[in-house]
Amino acid sequence: MIPEESSSLEEHHFSSLHPLEVAILRDLHKQSPTSEADLASHTGLDSAQVSMSIGWLQAKQYIMITSEVVTKIVSLTSTGIRFSKKGSLIKQIFTEATKAKEQGLPLTMKRLQEILSLQASDLSGPIGALKKEGSIQIGPGGVLEPTKSTSDLTSALHMLIENISHGSSSYDTRPNTERKIIDTFSQRRGRSQEPFRIDEHIMRSFALTERGQAVAANVVTVGVKEGYAQLTPELLKDGSWRTHTPRPYNIALRPPRIAAGKKHPYRTFLDKVKTTLVSMGFEEMRGPIVENEFWNMDTLYMPQFHPARDIHDVYFVKSPAYSTAIPEPYISQVAQTHRDGWTTGSRGWGYPFDEQRTRRLVLRSQGTAVSSRTLASQPKIPGKYFSIARCFRYDQIDATHATDFFQTEGIVLGNTINFQTLLGLLLLFAKELAQTTKVKFAPAYFPFTEPSVELHVEHPKLGWMELGGAGLLRPEVTHPLGIKVPVIAWGLGLDRMAMIALGIHDIRDLFTANLDLIRQQPTPL
Amino acid sequence: MPTIDFPKQDLDTLIGWTFPIEELDKWLLLAKGEIKNYDPETDILKVELQDTNRPDLWCTEGIARQIRVKRDKELRPYLFFKSREKPLDQINVGNGLDLIRPYIGGFKTRGYMLSDQELAQLIQTQEKLADVFGRKRKSVSIGIYRLDPIQFPITYAIADPNIAQFTPLGFDKPMTLPEILECHPKGIEYKSTLIGQSNKQHYPLLTDAEGTVLSFPPIINSREIGEVQVGDKNLFVEVTGTDLRMVLHTINILAANFTDRESTIEPLKVLYPTQTEFGESIRVPYDFRSEIEVPQEKINAILGDSLTLNEGKQALVEYGHQVKSRAKTLYVKQPPYRDDLMHPVDAIEDIAISTGYNTFRTTLPSEFTVGSLSQSEIISDKVRELMIGFGFQEILSNILASQDDLAIRMNLPDTAIIEVDNVMSLTYNCVRQWIIPSLLRVESSSSHSFYPHCLFEAGEIVQPDQKTESGTRTLNALSALLAHPNANFSEMHSYVDLLFYTLGLSYEIEPTTHPSFIDGRIGQLTLNHTPCGLLGELHPQVLDNWQITMPCTVFELCLDTLPIG
Repeated sequence: MIPEESSSLEEHHFSSLHPLEVAILRDLHKQSPTSEADLASHTGLDSAQVSMSIGWLQAKQYIMITSEVVTKIVSLTSTGIRFSKKGSLIKQIFTEATKAKEQGLPLTMKRLQEILSLQASDLSGPIGALKKEGSIQIGPGGVLEPTKSTSDLTSALHMLIENISHGSSSYDTRPNTERKIIDTFSQRRGRSQEPFRIDEHIMRSFALTERGQAVAANVVTVGVKEGYAQLTPELLKDGSWRTHTPRPYNIALRPPRIAAGKKHPYRTFLDKVKTTLVSMGFEEMRGPIVENEFWNMDTLYMPQFHPARDIHDVYFVKSPAYSTAIPEPYISQVAQTHRDGWTTGSRGWGYPFDEQRTRRLVLRSQGTAVSSRTLASQPKIPGKYFSIARCFRYDQIDATHATDFFQTEGIVLGNTINFQTLLGLLLLFAKELAQTTKVKFAPAYFPFTEPSVELHVEHPKLGWMELGGAGLLRPEVTHPLGIKVPVIAWGLGLDRMAMIALGIHDIRDLFTANLDLIRQQPTPL
Repeated sequence: MPTIDFPKQDLDTLIGWTFPIEELDKWLLLAKGEIKNYDPETDILKVELQDTNRPDLWCTEGIARQIRVKRDKELRPYLFFKSREKPLDQINVGNGLDLIRPYIGGFKTRGYMLSDQELAQLIQTQEKLADVFGRKRKSVSIGIYRLDPIQFPITYAIADPNIAQFTPLGFDKPMTLPEILECHPKGIEYKSTLIGQSNKQHYPLLTDAEGTVLSFPPIINSREIGEVQVGDKNLFVEVTGTDLRMVLHTINILAANFTDRESTIEPLKVLYPTQTEFGESIRVPYDFRSEIEVPQEKINAILGDSLTLNEGKQALVEYGHQVKSRAKTLYVKQPPYRDDLMHPVDAIEDIAISTGYNTFRTTLPSEFTVGSLSQSEIISDKVRELMIGFGFQEILSNILASQDDLAIRMNLPDTAIIEVDNVMSLTYNCVRQWIIPSLLRVESSSSHSFYPHCLFEAGEIVQPDQKTESGTRTLNALSALLAHPNANFSEMHSYVDLLFYTLGLSYEIEPTTHPSFIDGRIGQLTLNHTPCGLLGELHPQVLDNWQITMPCTVFELCLDTLPIG
């Protein structure tokens, strides 16, 4: 093929046309305007190719949009499907309110949350809708009271769910009243538990611009100079690269994005912590997520009546509810220490230790549970241990409370351990993990250590912050587990440092399900 | 951890010194307190108290005492344990209370002119003690009354719920005890504290010699004599509860607080129908403190210091203790408002706090240890490195998930999962038994993110296992997901194949069926004939359940079964 001379003004652009662009221009030259779908069927290209080349041609201002028709399609979400079987949330709320009224019991928001096992945020929308309709009112003390015997909104919603459950259908052609209900109960940001979902289908048509007409006419009449797109092995082998010309690229275009293989940003941070601790001579320990109260609390000398042990602080396991018997001699020694101090030199907590309760299974609530298991498994002396353990707390989830999170903690055992080595170790953590030697030690309280210390550091970027807590394990902890040397227990609160390093303001984003966020987060050094 | 509010000026008055606000931080270390906020406009300080074992510190008086003793170098005397000649008024305890709320203690106090501010402080102290120390009034609750209308002796006894009635605070007509439990907000809130064995509801009542009701502990006071107001001077204070030592400890804290406000304490005698650990007749406030021996050698071993016996003694005295020294040992008696010295180490911490943590030398642990990672972590790190090299993005998810995600959406309605008993939110009611749903959660939230999606997560899962101590097993697993228009079995199979090859393992793949996957496109992975994972194309119904409109191929592998290392 011999390249032709061309005197056209569009010479440069013309010669850089991609074959896909040529196909679109040819079609639009025949018939304009044409819809995106028609372009695909005329040219035989797939829709991704069509929209890609349309993008290029728009950028070159060869084509323009002539019309844009948006149609909305409504369908049921998985919540909607569930509602179609067991009734909508507003129906459940209205029914509960009616039932409570009949029984003369006040239905508070808190009570309703318990009955439906939902959070306040899930309920505020539906309650608002019922209130707006006037079928319930909020009385003194936040009590929900029905004001009518039936709720029209509830029945209308039910009919709509039933109707749409047969398949997605048009939104625009529905009467105003239905559209209003659909709007109220459709899924959107912050409202993921709604029954409807509205999708927009956009149908665009395109026509040639003045410039585009000239180029298209040229393409049709003169034909395209077909430079080669890709240098191929064939061109190289047969030497025809010498006579052929490569088609120039538009190198100003953004490159296609690459889905790279990368570590998770928070993992990167945790890996760094892990490596630092290993380099300081710490050995990693692991423990089970489902743990009994014995290792999670009793061995740590938290009395069984301790407020941090009730159902508002710890997740209990439904089934199995109890572990098998706790091995001797630990169970007897720990129980006796709680009762009267055993031989530890302590007076003990002085209450009847419940040997059934100690087997109750919970989700590990503190990393120290891993340490207590290590203490009872013939640890090395001298020895240094750490774990980065997933822990669980019964907390309302918000920007500063996650359902589960990592605790970095550990123990140091040795004959030369004392309060001054404890402070020295904390100073070392400050240096290695927060890059500072400016520290303050504050008296603290943990049930399992005495003396107990809180470590505050002046981070070079973040200012004064609490980095962790530590202490010497109480003899009531070490002796019943067979440890006769002093032991430091330490724990570091690294979430805040991690969040700042990753530019995150909400702790839930450490475990986000948003892939864009994960891909775009820079990996800190 | 309790947080309390008080005017800074009140603290200054109680200590007898006006603090520069910037020095307060340092002094609060003595009370394990931390300033959360100070508003110079209102002069209100908000302080968080760390020590859940020191309820005496959860009030202005307590914080002031702890700072004052350091400045005064010794404790002011608290004389309410000293016996007085004159016969005491009594509280008589009836039978049957041992089933629900056996103990009571109380005292009279005179000369305490309640101002607005002091009443607010008194109510705050009462609430913190009953709520946190008393576990929401279950083990300890406090009642305060105007003293003058009360005729002694007082009776604490089980009442007949059909007869007894009185007008509770906040209401204006007499109610029966069951009515109070059903209708009064405090009745509804604290009803459960009076439910005994086999769900029996109990009704303890406090009445005076004339039969006038004082209160229905721990629910609510009577409106007539149980409504303390600004200007009241003479008060009757009582504490009821389930643990005698805690009841008496609470009494002692309150008695110390009133003493600090310069009012006098008049003890009372409590007569029990049977023996208690402190006798049948107890003079309240009661001194149950005993001496604890703290050898000098132990002090220096723990603190790593060489304190003289006298230095140790002085540090303790300046922290409020009464200390005697004899033959290289300190004999320590804690101040009347404390009950937390269980072991000599507790006294040794007090020496360190009194001395000041920041005055100690710091040294590094000198003994050599070798650092290492666990076998599980080494394997996990290895496969993570490989998956990243294969071009997969690492994901990190919550381990708690919903049953909906883990089972229902996966077409596995009957699969066994570890469920939480006390559910807070249906979104987080189960521990994940596999990782694939975690990856699908990401996929279903990320259809706007450009394709292909190559995701993986290595992490912990929990599966039921009868053979273990807890009936469950925490396992390490690796899971990966491919999502793009042409994602298929064969593409993912290539990665699995490469993974095993690189790890030097030879695996088999056998056809199987699984409700989450398309029949004929699902294989079980085995190593030495032991199942170790799954590889397959997810069923369109599963994708639909997740509202995913992109084909997904996944594999999941149990890392604990890999014979590596």
